[in-house]
Amino acid sequence: MSIPDNLKDHILDSIAEGVFTVDKNFKINFINKAAEKITGHKREEVIGRFCKQIFRSEFCFTDCPIATVLKTKKNLYDFESSIQVSDGSQKPIKLNAAVLYNEMEEPTGGIISFRDISEFEAISKSLLKDLQFQGMIGHSKQMQDIFDLIEEIADSNAPVFIHGESGTGKELIANAIQKTSIRKDKPYLKINCSVFPSNLLASELFGHIKGAFTDAIKDRIGRFEIADKGTIFLDEVAEMPLQMQIQLLRVLQEGTFERVGESLTRFTDVRVIAATNVEIKDALKKGKFREDLFYRLNVIPIYLPPLREHKNDIIPLVKHFLAKFSIYYKKEINEIEEHALDLLLKYSWPGNIRELENVIEYAFVRTNKSTVIEISKLPPSLTEFSPSENVKQQTFSSNKERTDMLVLLEKFKWNKTDVAKHLRIGRTTLWRKLKELNLNS
Amino acid sequence: MNEMLGNQYFMARNYSAAQIHLQEFLNSNPNNKFAKRKIIICYTQTGKMEDAYKYFIELIDVDIDFIVNAHPIHDDCPCPELVEQIENQNNLNKDSLDYQLMLGMIWLYCDVEKSISYFLTAKEINPDYPRIDHVINKILNYISTKQIQKK
Repeated sequence: MSIPDNLKDHILDSIAEGVFTVDKNFKINFINKAAEKITGHKREEVIGRFCKQIFRSEFCFTDCPIATVLKTKKNLYDFESSIQVSDGSQKPIKLNAAVLYNEMEEPTGGIISFRDISEFEAISKSLLKDLQFQGMIGHSKQMQDIFDLIEEIADSNAPVFIHGESGTGKELIANAIQKTSIRKDKPYLKINCSVFPSNLLASELFGHIKGAFTDAIKDRIGRFEIADKGTIFLDEVAEMPLQMQIQLLRVLQEGTFERVGESLTRFTDVRVIAATNVEIKDALKKGKFREDLFYRLNVIPIYLPPLREHKNDIIPLVKHFLAKFSIYYKKEINEIEEHALDLLLKYSWPGNIRELENVIEYAFVRTNKSTVIEISKLPPSLTEFSPSENVKQQTFSSNKERTDMLVLLEKFKWNKTDVAKHLRIGRTTLWRKLKELNLNS
Repeated sequence: MNEMLGNQYFMARNYSAAQIHLQEFLNSNPNNKFAKRKIIICYTQTGKMEDAYKYFIELIDVDIDFIVNAHPIHDDCPCPELVEQIENQNNLNKDSLDYQLMLGMIWLYCDVEKSISYFLTAKEINPDYPRIDHVINKILNYISTKQIQKK
């Protein structure tokens, strides 16, 4: 038994999403009450008119959602667009689109359902206001000093060396330096020096010519050549092999280099921003990092404090992450229980801001039917934490290892068999490692 | 066959894409006046004047009113804006047959008198152009019929 047309209209009028349908000529032949309310257009004014004349979306001329469905034969969901409302302003919407077919399977029209996302946009804007500096939160004096320094060096081309533990936001700082610099419109490339074997790192940074090594089947331009007149961010620079450090020093001093396998000297004008999470003094003492390179890079040093040293940023950071995940997970959770917050403030945060973000996300995902994050929803690594831990004695590297292990344990819901399997090690080896990292509880 | 996609491309003024889908539709629905009215415009805008002319003759033979009464808003007819653009363009050879035919066809959607003047110039350029007399007579007959009706 089919539903009569007037009942269908009644059903469509009772839902909160805006709905309109068009015929095969894209003339509107139905609009529900919610769509009237969202757009301000009256039913009698729009029926029989072309949808593009009413809604005047930028996509009418480029990516009409119904045309996309016609082309791909797949319905469209949560497509972000905007429509013109009755007062002439544009309203952001998220829409779903589908094509209507007759019994011969020929397209006879289309249906769009949409919802107003102006409120989401407003939240995003208010979130942006919270971001203190180029996408970074930092109410503390330490962070404010860093933001001031970045602004002061905006006109400089001098190398910058960012020091800080893992998870403190070194890359965000590098991004901010680039965005505020005079080279902001020029190329900006990032490279993590620890992920490439030494022979490939040279090729990656300086390029190679065909035949330079077995896999060099054609000439390749390196990052320093691509980034000419721009900026390069060398993350984990202390992991760079010594031979490469000499080559990097030469680029910094003379602006010259050769592609791998080529004798022709090339010139480049690149600003270098480097970062490390190791104690650079130790690396210098052990001869793992060249002193001359250190002084060349360290013209403008920036020391990013670990989160435990600017705990007054924890509350604004938590607020920011709650707002972020509210939008992402479409859940309204905007508060955190006092005891839970107290624990966050006492915890030592070996994984720094990244760890805090992960903790909030973990608790956020576990919180249902409540707008408040309770202490029971925080990960066990926190709830089992003893405030007496003397974290300052931990080295950067063991901190990093501990954080990585914590992330893995959280990922596998503390199932050690799964973690061992993932790491391709035995359970006994994992147990020993956890004990070493004080994670065996 | 995707008439609807052709309609959307036409609405978005993507004439080259529209003509592909409308042509495909017309191959299996050769009497569809709506598709014909659109494809004539598409072909004039993609330089396929002979194809446009073929469908133009077919449509004026069946229902010349269907072209003359095309409305810029109710039918989303782009001709008023098109004639303005074309006549103000300086890089077109205004003495060519194609130019006169193109404007003769497009003006019929907006102004019959203007249309006939372009077809008459086209005839001066090439008096032997296929069926030019037929087109001119058809439009002149239409004009005189309308004048009689007015009286």
